[in-house]
Amino acid sequence: MKELQELSRQLLADDVVKVVIGYEEGPRGVRAAFITDPAQTGKLVFDKRCVQNLATYLNPRRKQVAQLGKPAIVVKGCDARSVAGLIREKQVERGNIVVIAMRCGGVLENSEVDSELTSETVSVRCAGCDVRDPKLYDHILGELPPEPPVNPRRTEQIAALEEMTPTERWSFWNEELARCIRCHACREACPMCFCVQCTADKGQPQWIDPSPTPRANRAWQTMRVLHQAGRCVDCLECERACPEHIPLGLLARYVADAVKKRFDYAACEDPTVPAPMGVFRTDDDEEFIR
Amino acid sequence: MSDDVKPGTDTTWTPKIVAFVCNWCTYTGADLAGTSRLKMDPNVRVIRLTCSSRVNPLFIIKAFERGADGVIVSGCHTGDCHYSTGNYYARRRFAILHDLLDFMGVENNRVTFSWVSASEGNKWQEVVNQTTSRVKELGPSCVPLNQKGGE
Amino acid sequence: MTHRFLSHHDLALLAADLVASGTRVIAPVRAADDLEQIDYLPIQKLEDAALGVRVTRRSLKEFFLPPSEVLLQYRQTKEGVEIREVPTVAPPQVILGATPCDVAGLEIVDKVMGWDYRDELWFGRRDATTIVSFLCSVMDHTCFCTAVGLAPDSSRGTDLLLIPVEGGYLANAITPKGKALLQRCPGATDASEAAIAGAEAAQQEARGKIANNLAAIPAEFAGWLASHYDHPVWKTIALRCHGCGACAGVCPTCHCFDIVDEHDSSEEGARRRNWDSCQTSKFTLHASGHNPRQSQSERFRQRIEHKFSIYPTRFGEILCTGCGRCARVCPGGMDLPEIVGNLVALSKAEPEGSAQ
Repeated sequence: MKELQELSRQLLADDVVKVVIGYEEGPRGVRAAFITDPAQTGKLVFDKRCVQNLATYLNPRRKQVAQLGKPAIVVKGCDARSVAGLIREKQVERGNIVVIAMRCGGVLENSEVDSELTSETVSVRCAGCDVRDPKLYDHILGELPPEPPVNPRRTEQIAALEEMTPTERWSFWNEELARCIRCHACREACPMCFCVQCTADKGQPQWIDPSPTPRANRAWQTMRVLHQAGRCVDCLECERACPEHIPLGLLARYVADAVKKRFDYAACEDPTVPAPMGVFRTDDDEEFIR
Repeated sequence: MSDDVKPGTDTTWTPKIVAFVCNWCTYTGADLAGTSRLKMDPNVRVIRLTCSSRVNPLFIIKAFERGADGVIVSGCHTGDCHYSTGNYYARRRFAILHDLLDFMGVENNRVTFSWVSASEGNKWQEVVNQTTSRVKELGPSCVPLNQKGGE
Repeated sequence: MTHRFLSHHDLALLAADLVASGTRVIAPVRAADDLEQIDYLPIQKLEDAALGVRVTRRSLKEFFLPPSEVLLQYRQTKEGVEIREVPTVAPPQVILGATPCDVAGLEIVDKVMGWDYRDELWFGRRDATTIVSFLCSVMDHTCFCTAVGLAPDSSRGTDLLLIPVEGGYLANAITPKGKALLQRCPGATDASEAAIAGAEAAQQEARGKIANNLAAIPAEFAGWLASHYDHPVWKTIALRCHGCGACAGVCPTCHCFDIVDEHDSSEEGARRRNWDSCQTSKFTLHASGHNPRQSQSERFRQRIEHKFSIYPTRFGEILCTGCGRCARVCPGGMDLPEIVGNLVALSKAEPEGSAQ
């Protein structure tokens, strides 16, 4: 933490960056911090409560953040993959940001209460983490912690869903998605949903009805997760943001697993590796095609 | 036709199937099937597009929303795309859509992806008839239903 | 007002009686996806309810202004267009166990719903609903009802206020509807001195619990907000806000909606009204393409101005009940009580004129 605070202070004082986007204490646990004054860098923290993927604040649509000037951004290895994604898709230029990567041993599912990291309290997204030592950075801080405990909950839920018949799965998703109020918090919180005009907002023609009816909600969530195929880093901001507590992470994980299985690709920290839906192999599997 | 309909469903129900086909291969193949007077189930409405790659997954979802019980997506065989690589990209897209639809509860047998070339009138007949019989077995699609809230 | 007493058993019988007579009874219930969380849901018996556990995740708003509702349905035939309107008379419902903040919120929104146009759908449901609120005992450090002129024992907007005492509840019927509901309880008795004293003590305790939360917002704040519209504080106040509108969804007083026409087929469709939020980027997008609120700073400023300045000026009410849900749900960590507290402090430090 001290290293992070000192580095940030230095970066701001030397005018290398105009703002450090990191984490600070808030009234309800940690929250994003936007430090522009070198004297305020003491506010920066980094611990297992730092769940939020801050890469979303690099989205160029966030004018009030972009106006602050060149940012340094604090990322965990998983978040660094979102930064790589934004660079890969030309939303951010590598030279226009400073990446401060933090070595991380897992984050809590419920970040409001600091507690020990166990297989029940750890976030499901930490399962199988292979980026505790991030590769995308300008500065890297922290000791390499041990591997996080594995929270099996999501793998179990997906397995349970796969065991069901299509009709049962249909009922499950119908039930869950009926609660969606189409606030689009999932989209706004997602680092990779940066489209200036979302497909769902298009009125002429209207592909996806804006009303939160079960039918339109299904179309919305299906399209959003499809548009994320190969781009989603499984940060679970969508699920955390959802005011209706819809298990969007199940969709995100399922599609990420499908992409891995079919194209041997997982969102990575190297912006030069192309995303799978924009490329192809002539020998891609086509057993599902008649 | 009515013999294949699931018990309890409307015995006058016939499936509505929408086919998104590419202009260069499948459309021509379908045309050949027609001119060859091949017997095909009459439930398919064909929508002609420039390439299988033009098929946005939204089209398939929208087709289901508007009452399609089944969807066919068909294009040129890989390597034969009129635009060289369109169907390679499409193949990747369809693969994920195929998996996701199944996960969301839309049975795989409702959606048929195929490569049908301009000379494969017989294959088109097969695709149409097989898809129709699979969809008949599954019964009407639930996708257009708006059970909770709304109305 | 005569104080009456209802035992726990009396309340259970009342709930059962209402359900049996076809009235929908809505109460706080443990959420299926997370037993620690509470939602307002229909119940079949009082046992299903989880009273006095925690603030519900969403407000009562959805029972009066649903997230989506059909306004009319249309069908095109050879003869022309058939229109089918929805009924404005709603089936009877009773809210059992509402928190005072949620209930006050309904009365606050009544003002705009009956302002230049009487919203028949909103009032149809309001008229058909009887509200039984409870003394709030579930406040946490995020609540701030007292800052906006309410209290844990506020009877604003309620028909019947129940205060937990030994063996049951002190029951205060505030409106004729509340009286009528009490009359359905054959076991209700006049409250004893002890019960009245117990209720008083419970009220004091509840007020004490919230005493250290956000201080009362001064009356001058509304005017200060209006005259400090261009203050530089607005530029950095919403940096972490995603503009997702989750806050508007859970808020008891946010009421903006969008009306859309949607086809179900080429012949049929419906006109619907759906929840909307001023925090979304396209909320003020004009057909011309111009958007007067292009940045999240401007949109968040609007939220504060509307709730704490514009609505008070127009209707004499702060458009906020201090329930704290916006702060709890926000994925970006925006904390409205903290922000309002900071702005109030700023208004005291810089009271005069427009800022540069």
